[in-house]
Amino acid sequence: MTGKAPTIVLGVIGADCHSVGNQILELHFTQQGFNVANLGVMVSQDEFIDAAIETGAGAILVSSLYGHGEIDCAGFRERCIERGLDKIVLYVGGNLVVGKAAPEVVVEKFKAMGFDRVFLPGCNLDEVAELLRKDLAVSAPRERA
Amino acid sequence: MMGDTTKKMPREEFFRIRDEVLRGWPTGAAVAPFEDGVRRQLALPPHKRFAQAMAEARKAGRTLLQPRAGVALVEDHIRLLNYLAREGEADLLPTTIDAYTRQNRYAEAAAGIQRSEAAGTSLLNGFPAVNHGLDGCRRVVESVDKPVQVRHGTPDARLLAEITLSSGFSSFEGGGISYNIPYAKRVPLEKSIRDWQYVDRLVGLCGEAGVSINREPFGPLTGTLVPPCISHAVGIIEGLLALEQGVRSISLGYGQTGNLVQDVAAMVSLRELADEYFRRDGHTDFELTTVFHQWMGGFPEDESKAFAVISWGAAAAVLARADKVIVKTPHEAMGVPTREANACGLRATRQMVNMLAGQKLDAGPTRAAESELIKAEARCLLERTRELGRGNWAAGAAAAFESGVLDVPFAPSVFNRGRLLPIRDDEGFVRIYQPGNLPLTPDILAYHAARLAERARNERRSLGYQMVTDDIYAISKGRLIGRPR
Repeated sequence: MTGKAPTIVLGVIGADCHSVGNQILELHFTQQGFNVANLGVMVSQDEFIDAAIETGAGAILVSSLYGHGEIDCAGFRERCIERGLDKIVLYVGGNLVVGKAAPEVVVEKFKAMGFDRVFLPGCNLDEVAELLRKDLAVSAPRERA
Repeated sequence: MMGDTTKKMPREEFFRIRDEVLRGWPTGAAVAPFEDGVRRQLALPPHKRFAQAMAEARKAGRTLLQPRAGVALVEDHIRLLNYLAREGEADLLPTTIDAYTRQNRYAEAAAGIQRSEAAGTSLLNGFPAVNHGLDGCRRVVESVDKPVQVRHGTPDARLLAEITLSSGFSSFEGGGISYNIPYAKRVPLEKSIRDWQYVDRLVGLCGEAGVSINREPFGPLTGTLVPPCISHAVGIIEGLLALEQGVRSISLGYGQTGNLVQDVAAMVSLRELADEYFRRDGHTDFELTTVFHQWMGGFPEDESKAFAVISWGAAAAVLARADKVIVKTPHEAMGVPTREANACGLRATRQMVNMLAGQKLDAGPTRAAESELIKAEARCLLERTRELGRGNWAAGAAAAFESGVLDVPFAPSVFNRGRLLPIRDDEGFVRIYQPGNLPLTPDILAYHAARLAERARNERRSLGYQMVTDDIYAISKGRLIGRPR
């Protein structure tokens, strides 16, 4: 791989303690050549932002599985701007709202909140990594021998 | 009677702590008179007493059905529970607590209630019982005609227990390990175990006043390929900790793995081993029942496929002679279900439970051998925990997690080693791939390794993290074992 591995911040927001997928995501993005700062479960907006500033990350990947995503993510984009991260890429994914809702409604809701991309259960992680590389405008790591 | 009475929290200490606990949120004041809560419990009609329902199910050989359910507002929650009793034919009702309350974040729960009122729909993933206080909780208990249990995931559940038990809830799920390691990030075990000894002492004091409250340690832990010996050891330790504080009605749980032989073997060994360990510590006056959790891992999005997972869990529960089955819903892959979907899961389970009632699975040599294996494994963990605590289970449990003698796969807590990795063998039994520091005998470890080597050979690939990941997502992708495509 040429150049420095892009750094991303990963974590599960709010009072959510779903830890299994978080551990899988860490492994996946690491294998995909990213430098992953994984904050684990129950991460506040400011903890995400602190970590992004500290590591110079280009993206924050927020997970929410327990239904409170709508409350926990409110104002995240504004908070990033307020703290000087006006260019940071924001992704969110998981079971984002309470109850079964139409996917396009959920995606629109979180895009309106300022998230660049919104992922629902069953999304393809290889595609997510591809999109992330594109959004970070960095080249894909070369095939490993 | 009680075994070692020196471990019981002294009455004066309990009431000293209680003053502080009740000041944790303004609604605590209303439940200050302990006797009022006892009076409300004694006034419950027999068919609304959880401990009694569990004991009768056990005697009759029935498997009772219980859903999970909880929404932000009192009246909506009552409608939800009555719907599940009527349309879902639930035997026992839950009140699932929201995630903010579980972390004692009552101000955020209050905001969630307000926003839910404004939105006309629940924005919380459960019922914020502490915020609703005595009046709201009483209305729930009085408006339904079944026993109601508090189900949550709260490391410090002292105020929640005070408010709900005083209101007439007659069963309380959780424990100092099972509601910490899978549900928290940085709560020391010493603290959560002490806080749960308080809850158990509260239940013990109710017992002294003539009220039997049911207690249920949370069996499935992370619900993700947990080897049965791990959940058995944790459940038995929490059972012992509860009995020490005066609890009498105790239900131990287990989460389905999906291999029928392993599931039946696990349930048989759980009951036998718990009974053995409880008696060995001098406890004789207890009512032990068992709980089977339908698959707790990831579900298929397709609702027909989800029903197959639900029904397979229902079948295993009956064949394993569980006294209660906790029921999943076809919306599991999407998160919190609608009440209709919740009732659908219950009705599918009901049909299966009724059809299988009374049928017995021939207890062949494979099942018996698997049962003995699980017992031998759990004994290794329990004996080392006992040594570490020098006979004190609370101290032993904390030391066991610190040293990796107890280890829960994929848990969020920093106080869990997280070195244990499971993989399914060629028949779908959950086996131990990386044992971390588990004190299992070389024979046992060699057996697990041999079974996994067999699968690796058949799949022509090596054991590793990829296989672990494939197994975690296998059921949601339509199979039990994460085979390469």
